[in-house]
Amino acid sequence: MTPTAEPMIRLTDVDICFYVQENGFVSMKDFLLHPGKYKLLQKSFVLKNVNLQINKGESFALLGKNGSGKSTLLRALSGIITPDKGKIELFGAVAPLLGLGVGLEQELTGIENIRLSCALMGMTKAEIKQRLPEIIEFSELGEAIHWQVKRYSTGMMSRLSFSIAIIKQPEILLIDEVLSVGDLGFQQKCLKKVMEIKDNGATIIFVSHNFEEVSNMCSRAALVNNGTVEFVGPVKEVGERYHHLFDN
Amino acid sequence: MIKSPLFNKGFQNAVLSLALKTIKLRYKNSFLGVFWSMLNPLIFLTILIIVFKQINHIEHFALYALTGLIFWNFISASILQVLTSFIDNAAILKSINLHPFCFPLSAMVAAVFNLLLTLIPFFVIMFFLGYDLSWSFLAFFPFTIITAVFVLGLGMLMGTINVYFRDIQLLWTTIIPAFFYFTPIAYTPELLSENQRFLLKLNPFYYFIESYHDIFYRSVVPSFENFGMSLFLAMLSIVIGYAAFNKYRKGFISNI
Repeated sequence: MTPTAEPMIRLTDVDICFYVQENGFVSMKDFLLHPGKYKLLQKSFVLKNVNLQINKGESFALLGKNGSGKSTLLRALSGIITPDKGKIELFGAVAPLLGLGVGLEQELTGIENIRLSCALMGMTKAEIKQRLPEIIEFSELGEAIHWQVKRYSTGMMSRLSFSIAIIKQPEILLIDEVLSVGDLGFQQKCLKKVMEIKDNGATIIFVSHNFEEVSNMCSRAALVNNGTVEFVGPVKEVGERYHHLFDN
Repeated sequence: MIKSPLFNKGFQNAVLSLALKTIKLRYKNSFLGVFWSMLNPLIFLTILIIVFKQINHIEHFALYALTGLIFWNFISASILQVLTSFIDNAAILKSINLHPFCFPLSAMVAAVFNLLLTLIPFFVIMFFLGYDLSWSFLAFFPFTIITAVFVLGLGMLMGTINVYFRDIQLLWTTIIPAFFYFTPIAYTPELLSENQRFLLKLNPFYYFIESYHDIFYRSVVPSFENFGMSLFLAMLSIVIGYAAFNKYRKGFISNI
């Protein structure tokens, strides 16, 4: 399927700031004693003036060093962070795959975790009930689905959370360095599933440091450096520029 | 609060599921379950009956003390749970697109549910200690909602600041035992002379505990003063708490 030029994601002049407090309890004192004079939190830019358009059906990669703002960009796209300035337009439902396994509760069983995670993702009881068998089947966990998650191996946990995250048939899929989970069999299954979602016309945004994986999957990419999108173009060219960042 | 997520079905389900998880986890691995929630007030009750009965010459002092203890425990514990709810759920906050109001709200829902659960066996003990059931008991339900709103607001205010300054959590756990003695639980307000009694009324918890004393000890609906002040404080608390939360929640992800 060839990507059409219909936009799926559009970012216009997006600024994202972090608000941090650096002076500890002292700044609280100043803030309370001199109203209006001191700001409680200092603002620092994580992303500055980002303009980006990603089209429908496209697989798009984000490359950049650690701490360059890639994950923040994905969080902004998934709605976890709202931009301080500018506009993010999404023309479809988003499924973020950010940090697999974080929402899992160790003491609960696999099934209980599926119910909880789905609820946190905003699904209603009826939806969850309907999707539950599908998730269990995809996870291939078998009997282990009734075990407490604390008895799971890392790979099993990843299986579980991948199965949950993927279930909503998203139109936009955000993947943050999470495909290297589980054993080889499950990795291929995940990749196959991502491809299937892609073939159904979904748009995929992909963050990875594995350039080989990136160039196999994506046609276009953006280079994120120091909080700005430095370059957008064919994945090969972006890859070269990315490698140049580490030259000296 | 205009664009409240409260009316969203998915959000409601998320709040309930998170609350249910909290309750499940609290009792899952402990054999005696609910009993543990009762043990603390019962130990304190024993001490109060033995020691403080000497200075409180009122009828059914044990009932008075137990009522105070149950609801003091409820209020102080749930404030702490709401306060730490953002930090407790840091992982979810960072990876799932969910309105963060979900966390304090579900902590509060879990606390109220826990109260109702422990109240059932306590009721038996209260009857034993001379509780006189009357229609005024029905005031318990709306009043507990008011209390929950108060706790939610205060907890959110402190919880928001606590994301940036973890001292709040420590500060709160340090001063809460002092508030226990500042609130009429181990003694009645009458123990103080007329012109000292106003001091007690500077304490916001006074009105809540006294309202519960009205309901369960005096078997009347809460007095106009106690009920009115509680309602006023609850409104004040939720407005300030939600406003602070809403203003500073944009920095949660970078500070948690």
